[in-house]
Amino acid sequence: MTDARPRLADVGYDTVVIGAGLAGLTAALRLAEAGQRVAILAKGVGATHLAPPTIDVLGYANGPVDSPAQALPEFAAANPEHPYRQLSIELVRASLDWFKARLGDHGYRGGLDENFFVPTALGVAKPTALLPETMAAGDLREGGRFVFVGLRGLKDFFPAYLADNVAQTPLPGRASVTTRVVELAPPLGEARDVSSAGFARRFEQPAFRESVLTELRRNLVPGEIVGFPAVLGIGGAREVWRELETRLGHPVFEVPTLPPSVPGIRVYDTMTSALRRQGARLVIGSTVAGAETGNGRLEGVVAHTAGRPLTYRARSFVLATGGFASAGLELDSSGTVREPVFDLPVAGLPGQNAPLFEPGYFDEHALSRAGVAVDESRRPVDDEGAPVYENLHAAGATLAGAVPWREASGNGLSLASGYAAASAILEVIS
Amino acid sequence: MPTLETEVLVVGGGSTGAGVARDAAMRGFATILVERGDLATGTTGRFHGLLHSGGRYAVKDPVAARECVVENPILRRTAADCIEDTGGLFVSTRWDDPGFGDDFLRGCQATGIPVEEVPVAEVLRREPRLDQGITRAFAVPDANLDPWKLVSACTRSATEYGARILPYHRVLGLEVSDDKVVGARVHNEVAGDELEIRAELVINAAGAWAGQIANLAGCVVTVLPGKGIMIAMNHRLVNTVINRCKPPSDGDIIVPIRTVSVIGTTDVRVADPDELEVTPGEIDEMLDEGEKLVPGFREARALRVWAGARPLYTPDDVTDTRDVSRTHTVLDHAKRDGVEGFITITGGKTTTFRLMAEHAVDTACEKLGVNRRCRTHEEPLPGSEEERFYWLGARVRAQEPVPNSEEIICECELITRRQLTEAIARGRPAGLDDVRRRVRLAMGPCQGGFCIYRATGILHEFEHLDHQAANSALLDFLQERWKGVQPILHGDQLRQARLDDWIFQGLLAVEHLPE
Amino acid sequence: MTEFVRDSLDHCVKCTICESFCPYSQATPLFPGPKYVGPQAERFRRTGVSPDISVDYCSGCGICTQVCPQGVKIAEINSQARAQLWEERGIPLRNQLIARPSVLGRLGTPVAPLANWTLRNRVLRRIGERALGIHRDAALPRFAGRTFQRWARKHVSPAAERTVVYFHACGTNYYEPSVGQMTVEVLEHNGFHVVVPPQDCCGLPLQSNGNFPAARAYVRRLAANLAPYAREGCAIVSNSTSCGLMLKREAREILDVEDEDVAVVSEAMYDLCEFLFLLHERGELRTDFAPLELTVPYHAPCQQQGHGIGKPALDLFALVPGLQAIELDADCCGIAGTYGLKKEKYEISMTVGERLFSQLRESNGDVAACDSETCRWQIEHGAGIHAVHPIEVLHRAYGLGH
Repeated sequence: MTDARPRLADVGYDTVVIGAGLAGLTAALRLAEAGQRVAILAKGVGATHLAPPTIDVLGYANGPVDSPAQALPEFAAANPEHPYRQLSIELVRASLDWFKARLGDHGYRGGLDENFFVPTALGVAKPTALLPETMAAGDLREGGRFVFVGLRGLKDFFPAYLADNVAQTPLPGRASVTTRVVELAPPLGEARDVSSAGFARRFEQPAFRESVLTELRRNLVPGEIVGFPAVLGIGGAREVWRELETRLGHPVFEVPTLPPSVPGIRVYDTMTSALRRQGARLVIGSTVAGAETGNGRLEGVVAHTAGRPLTYRARSFVLATGGFASAGLELDSSGTVREPVFDLPVAGLPGQNAPLFEPGYFDEHALSRAGVAVDESRRPVDDEGAPVYENLHAAGATLAGAVPWREASGNGLSLASGYAAASAILEVIS
Repeated sequence: MPTLETEVLVVGGGSTGAGVARDAAMRGFATILVERGDLATGTTGRFHGLLHSGGRYAVKDPVAARECVVENPILRRTAADCIEDTGGLFVSTRWDDPGFGDDFLRGCQATGIPVEEVPVAEVLRREPRLDQGITRAFAVPDANLDPWKLVSACTRSATEYGARILPYHRVLGLEVSDDKVVGARVHNEVAGDELEIRAELVINAAGAWAGQIANLAGCVVTVLPGKGIMIAMNHRLVNTVINRCKPPSDGDIIVPIRTVSVIGTTDVRVADPDELEVTPGEIDEMLDEGEKLVPGFREARALRVWAGARPLYTPDDVTDTRDVSRTHTVLDHAKRDGVEGFITITGGKTTTFRLMAEHAVDTACEKLGVNRRCRTHEEPLPGSEEERFYWLGARVRAQEPVPNSEEIICECELITRRQLTEAIARGRPAGLDDVRRRVRLAMGPCQGGFCIYRATGILHEFEHLDHQAANSALLDFLQERWKGVQPILHGDQLRQARLDDWIFQGLLAVEHLPE
Repeated sequence: MTEFVRDSLDHCVKCTICESFCPYSQATPLFPGPKYVGPQAERFRRTGVSPDISVDYCSGCGICTQVCPQGVKIAEINSQARAQLWEERGIPLRNQLIARPSVLGRLGTPVAPLANWTLRNRVLRRIGERALGIHRDAALPRFAGRTFQRWARKHVSPAAERTVVYFHACGTNYYEPSVGQMTVEVLEHNGFHVVVPPQDCCGLPLQSNGNFPAARAYVRRLAANLAPYAREGCAIVSNSTSCGLMLKREAREILDVEDEDVAVVSEAMYDLCEFLFLLHERGELRTDFAPLELTVPYHAPCQQQGHGIGKPALDLFALVPGLQAIELDADCCGIAGTYGLKKEKYEISMTVGERLFSQLRESNGDVAACDSETCRWQIEHGAGIHAVHPIEVLHRAYGLGH
């Protein structure tokens, strides 16, 4: 009997992207749009499902940032290892424009020149560059009379607490804000504990909306701006939001809740269906655990499948597995930091035996900026600054030098670096 | 200054103090207990949760072992709700002297500890994660004991018998008049005012802090705080208490308690029981020792680390705290130091807390010239009347058969909104950290990443807090949590901590809360 | 060192992604969701008494495990917890019955007309619902009346340089023998000598109904039959995507079967479309497809997605001129093997499937394609559109039609 098994099972693509968060999806979609055959391999679904849908480019740099465009040059100069040092303002701007166009159905607003200030679920006025239209009326800069709507059964949103903080929040230009709360008890049937996603699905049912509208309408005073938790539908969010605005006769906006992030799910759905339309292959649930290399190039990556490893060959690769939160970086019990897919050099670590963490929660922790350093072509580099592989690029929270959760720069960095990785790949080809 | 009058004033709200207050109240004394912080926040709330069979002391400390032999069955009867009957094993690993097993057996037999050698194959079936190279195993009636439930049940019972329990009341000074302690000046740590408590007898049950309290009456009591660190692992790596069968040493026990397994411990003499630093070396040692019992231990998820201070009383100078007997001592300062109206109960361990209380209150009866019988070995604690042991599955079962019928606020430990508000109401004012101990809020894998926003929102609403009070409750909790998590951050728990950073700092911008 | 599925709960960061995707917790409040019954409730379980029965409302579709970015084996934890539950309580007769397709097949095949009439008789189905708890409206397949094995015994596969072993599973054998014939013909068309060894059930339905001991016995027996071929270096190909997955992974991961035969079979096992696509990637698949002017909405069933190989059926469809494949993104059809047959779960199953059904209806497809037999039966029942295995489309495009 002859061997009929394709022993070294492998498949070929133009580019393989590892990771399906915002950075990976951005790189993949750009490449697929450029006509590439693209595969996205992801251990699971990425942070789009957890993070707010806003594109925060730079929110905090010694205090809140009013204009990212103005703040970025100085910020980059002060933080020479920061990824923004390598991402030009033009590129960041281009990535925002690209994103706004792809997410057309979401009506994204804003840009690099000024930040919106929108309330978090704690009531902090948080700066952000781009937001979907369903959040736009929450901009606190102009002040106004705000009503925050509570939904009984939703444990991830406390409007009274939020409203108390918003009322005390210092705003740019000393805008005056008043807040109050309306608590609704929408019909949930037997359920007492409904997640944000559960509410979002309910909001897509006309009868449910009707009952919310009826109860809310009699509680509003003309001129008020109405803030909901971000649960106003998933696929049909635009219609839900418009109907609420029209029928209430008040501006309506969403406030991001704890995970799951409903508006983040919308972003994921839109980007993945665009990818499908472009013929890209999205393999969720496939862990990349090894590489095949030769002549300084990455020939293929080896992914786990149910039966045996499968090698994905490609001309280019993008690593977008995220940071420590998603095991794109790992720290073991003996204090060793690793990038687990390619064992890339990790930059931004303190010296030996120096502590990785400080005793105060808000202290600057040495580990925070650890990650993969890249060259101008977004390729991971070794200690000498030479690319580890000619055709491997990295994007997103894997990158060294940023503390994105603190700077409010997370989605901005992911978008810009994912966009830049695709540019670098397309440049090589042309 | 407002003044309270009582017969017995108990200083210290750990298991000993709570036990003394209950016993005294049950014997009909007007009793007040003061504790500088929340109840069970000293040593009691910082131990691994072992209800000793006595096995740990069988070879080296027969007096302590015999006390455990007596107390273990009493607590099983009277505090069943605080106990899970896990059973215990002493196992000889390949790193241990196999000959110690014989000493251990002899020690158990001599002190009356029910012991049985179990075939290794059977032990490995029962606890499949144990190192396959173990050579001998002995079963003893170890179990786990929930310290917060225990203290809470004792103080509830004490209250029912008329005692007053005053947490967050720090003793500033003892009033001594004519060589007699007649009361104490205490500071209400929450309200900020002072108050005087006049008592016929003051019982110093301050554990590792007993020397400091005795000092206030001019007495010298040497209590050596012995620091022990413990690490909680994310889930039940074992379901039986596992002890190394060797002379007591660091990292020789894993206690499965509630949803976690706790490995312990060290024993380092320290100067101040309030200064218990956990060093990276100690953590490393725990993980290495854990690995010897349960291969893969280093890769398993560590949730949190903490240190407790054993109150080791010694009349003489001792260099190694592990050589100090774990039995307890009642000091009548009248006989010892010529100070009337003042006794100190110290040493001991949570397993013998009831006996310690009994001895202390016996002495109190003597001093107050009455003869009243102790009944704490007969009367079950509130919640334990049916003598039914705590069952790990209880919180899941409580949500059946119709899940989703209550809002679950802390999902890791399955705490409902109702349980949370009840815990807030149980002792006001309550910080989130107090609520944590009362119901295990945020003690699971996410360490509050998801529930603390919710709990703060509920606290804000339920207690009508203003934004500043709510915000500082939140920020205080985040710092407190960081303290316990930071030293062991690696692997899975670092991923969690980073996700929590994204939630608190990224999504909620907690750092920029208004003043 | 033994690996414990339970240990993967350590990776859970409570992020809620599994909950956002679980189609079952969305459809019924009786199922509190994968995170809850999986990594969460598992911390409260120890051997002895199961604290929760709600875990039985998990269908085992496995979507949670797939989407989990942290590597928690959620569905696998649930599956083991369910087995523990039923071990304590005793498995109901109904679950014992529907979990043995090969026994049912052997009973039903000789009396197929009568059996089919019985299964479609409204009165008898009502009685069956009351007596056995099998929902009266649930989609049940038709006995073909002849087995694929019988055809295969008579069929002489032409000698060829390359040999492949075909694992057809029970659905093909008793209900859809023609799918088996098409599979053999397509493989032969591509230059393979096809071997069809004798084979019985893989134990998957027993596993999903919580009868682990019986499931282990079945899968061991099957693996023992297939292992000699795998050891000789033969690929084993299956058109039953869920049974193939059982051999690839679930026997090892969920049932904890540590068995040489299972290990070697697991490594040799290919899902049919996976196999053909890999051949194509090596330039070894014949692409002499005739144009096929068809619109084919394609549903990748949950178990197919569990293979972790993407959607090779779509890559194959792309080779057929004129064929317009539509990739549907609904997650689950609701049947989950035997879940949707059960009286108490039928409504849930249909609610879950509704998203797929409506996508199928809106697609205006000529025929739907799906790799799993039970899902195809559910699709036909729920969406009223004819559903075929992708091999049927390829078979036609190759011009191999009879």
